Amino acid sequence: MPEVPVLELKDVSKHFGGVRAVDGVDLAVARGEILALIGPNGSGKSTIVNLICGLFPLTAGRIVLDGADISDMPMHARVSGGVARTFQNIRLFGQLTVWQNLWVAQNSGEQRRQGFGRRWFGGSRSARGEVERTLEFFDLAHKSNELAANLAFGEQRRLEFARALSAKPALLLLDEPAAGMNAEEIDQLDNRIRKVRDDGVTILLIEHHMELVMSIADRIAVLNFGRKIAEGTPASVQANPVVREAYLGTPEQV
Amino acid sequence: MVDLVQNTIDGLMIGSSYGLLALGFTLIFGVMRRLNLSYGPSVMVGAYLGTLVYVQLAAGPLVVLVVTVLGSVLAGLYVERLCFAPMAAGAGVASMVSSFAIWMQLEQAAVLVLPRHTYPFPPLATADPLAFGPFYLRVDGLIMLACALALSAGVQLLLYRSRVGLALRATINNPVAAHLAGIDVRTAVVFAFALASAVGGIAGYLVLATDQQVTPMFGMWATFKGLIAMMIGGLGSIPGAILGGLVLGVVEANSQWYFGPQVRDLLAYVLLFACLVLRPGGLLGEAPSRQQDTGRRGA
Repeated sequence: MPEVPVLELKDVSKHFGGVRAVDGVDLAVARGEILALIGPNGSGKSTIVNLICGLFPLTAGRIVLDGADISDMPMHARVSGGVARTFQNIRLFGQLTVWQNLWVAQNSGEQRRQGFGRRWFGGSRSARGEVERTLEFFDLAHKSNELAANLAFGEQRRLEFARALSAKPALLLLDEPAAGMNAEEIDQLDNRIRKVRDDGVTILLIEHHMELVMSIADRIAVLNFGRKIAEGTPASVQANPVVREAYLGTPEQV
Repeated sequence: MVDLVQNTIDGLMIGSSYGLLALGFTLIFGVMRRLNLSYGPSVMVGAYLGTLVYVQLAAGPLVVLVVTVLGSVLAGLYVERLCFAPMAAGAGVASMVSSFAIWMQLEQAAVLVLPRHTYPFPPLATADPLAFGPFYLRVDGLIMLACALALSAGVQLLLYRSRVGLALRATINNPVAAHLAGIDVRTAVVFAFALASAVGGIAGYLVLATDQQVTPMFGMWATFKGLIAMMIGGLGSIPGAILGGLVLGVVEANSQWYFGPQVRDLLAYVLLFACLVLRPGGLLGEAPSRQQDTGRRGA
């Protein structure tokens, strides 16, 4: 019997007025894999991520996390339930320090396991240790006391990734994490995503940077006009004529 | 000279209660970026419940305090539910206008239940003033000052040293990011309102116990004093709220002594006007334009 997928989209649709941004998409993300979601601009990738994290309600369909229906859960509950994300446009707490940005999110991960007092006032030593380790992993330890607003762009990107991880997600949604990065930074990002996956976090990646996608994705799903047009290994997707026509064929997207 | 010092002492004491009211205002304004005009009237509702148990049941000062604070919190949450929760996503002006409507509603409700113009409120301390040379210190005034300093220190600690406080500040900074970090923003807002109303309830109790009477106009009085003190001290700053209250109290006490009660209120507004012109962000607050700017960078 196959294992229950971490995330399952069942016939999910989102219409904005007459626009079918997402139209009847089925998608399953298996535990421990890196699934890349690609497609031309406006194909519905970001909308799907927004639906999974609960930024706005579904028009139709269900979203199932670890076998539990989360379609009607508010956003913060999904985060503590195991779905974390980064944004294409970075959303940090600019007026809080780097350390506090992680500590806030770490708390929501801990809330599931702790009583009232700890949750509201304390904070275990192990939790503080975890924040330190996350900072080290993202090479931000030396910036620990800086305000997030004062970080360089690349550092803010790393901090957002780090904050998403601090919530202890089972599923991590990365929305164009490589946007605006140079080759060296993309290389580091590649390594970090693999490492996070090896630590047991399942990853749904939206990315335009094809080199990165082909390098780290276990599977790829392709969207066009809100519908899934292909799904499979990087090689099979690359060879798929429908995909080539819809997506890879337009040079400026590659 | 003796008069000036004595007035300043008295002004610091009454000003500390203005500071507490400003603290409540600034908690709500800081979290929501919204003005809650019903803040004073919700404290007045708490005070009316307090005087009700005092008059009807001859309750002691401690019971009156508890009832006043609980009543303020309940009324504050009622205002939040009606004026702020439905418009959490936008329309700050709609929230402010509806909070004005609720102000009228609360005031009329209080008049309906207790129709006389004034009701007695149990005194805080009936001991004689302490004499220090030519100066006198009122015991209830001292209690008020001590409470204001302790409460503001407590709120400052809660906001800057606890995880709840961090969650609140994160919500203030970027509500969308707060959701992403797993913060229940709705609970954070309700908590801020409850905390602000509790602080307001304590301030209301201290002021009314000093006056030993309560009228329906107390709501308006509390909103004005808190609002002016907050604007003088600095929007969103806790030490600023207390400082603004103390400055307002000292200016009022001295102008009342030297120029009379009409000029007192005039000078209070002149002080506010001068503050807004010379330091628009208040004494300890950031200038508004800069605050917006950093907000955008942090987004």
